[in-house]
Amino acid sequence: MQQQATLQVTRPKSLLRAIATPVLTAALLGAVIVYGVGFSPIAAAHNAAHDARHVNVFPCH
Amino acid sequence: MLFRRIVLCALLVGALAGLLVSAVQHWQAIPLIAAAEEFEGGAEPSAAVAHDHAQAPGEAHVHDDEAWAPRDGAERHLWTALANVLTAIGFGLLLIPAITVWEAVRGRPLASARSGLLWGAAGWACVFAVPALGLPAEIPGSAAAALAARQAWWLLAAACTAIALGLLAFGRGPLRALALAVVALPFALGAPHPDIGPFAAYGDEVARQLEALAARFAVATAIATAVQWLALGALSGWAVARWVRPVVAARGGAPARFARAQS
Repeated sequence: MQQQATLQVTRPKSLLRAIATPVLTAALLGAVIVYGVGFSPIAAAHNAAHDARHVNVFPCH
Repeated sequence: MLFRRIVLCALLVGALAGLLVSAVQHWQAIPLIAAAEEFEGGAEPSAAVAHDHAQAPGEAHVHDDEAWAPRDGAERHLWTALANVLTAIGFGLLLIPAITVWEAVRGRPLASARSGLLWGAAGWACVFAVPALGLPAEIPGSAAAALAARQAWWLLAAACTAIALGLLAFGRGPLRALALAVVALPFALGAPHPDIGPFAAYGDEVARQLEALAARFAVATAIATAVQWLALGALSGWAVARWVRPVVAARGGAPARFARAQS
């Protein structure tokens, strides 16, 4: 019984289901941060990150 | 727990990679931006319209004096470094989950600094190499198509490259051929460019100097972003192996083989 349960949860699909929410939330947070620094149209955000945008080759002004 | 662990790893990895790339830029790309800004504003007034179609003529330009901007010198460098660190943290928050999922799907401990280099190279292709083929690195003062159109094209190119690399790496047979079609899509649509050359608004002599600066800037940004992404990839792979893997193993009840490999 114990053995069976272990095998059940070690299948990649169920492991994926177990980690899906935190992994996707983290990736979404990453996308929001990159957007905020690299793409935000707010003038102050643009000015603060200006040189970083140019070097990262984000489209800039 | 897993979310917190990924975020903490991304903060560490992003801080290290962001500071590293700031140091690299400081002696190669930043002086080129400063040199180009010497010429910026020396263009004919007619160029202002071509500069950004999204803005009505006379409307506040992004470089206007009213909006806050860091003062030149230490303050500006500090904000640039902060922006670099934040960008690297954001990229780390995409890379670390990707490596975590890769390992979970394969069911083997694959993450390492070495395999992370490959992930870093893939990230560099997605957000630098392929978008820059359509929209080359811009120095300040160059004319370009409307900002919104360029941003949309950039995002499309980055997303298509990520999908194509995923298909190439993990797909079989016809899926791999599809990868070529996916990466070709943004180029079939065409990157947005203005009708005039980037420095058409300047005199011949200045335009020549700006073109030379732009060429050097393209090389400098390619190197700086490559350094950033290789560092990001290696550090992310290492962080997943060291700190994320044990949490995933505990959460999924992974076999002892998988959990033991962490040490």
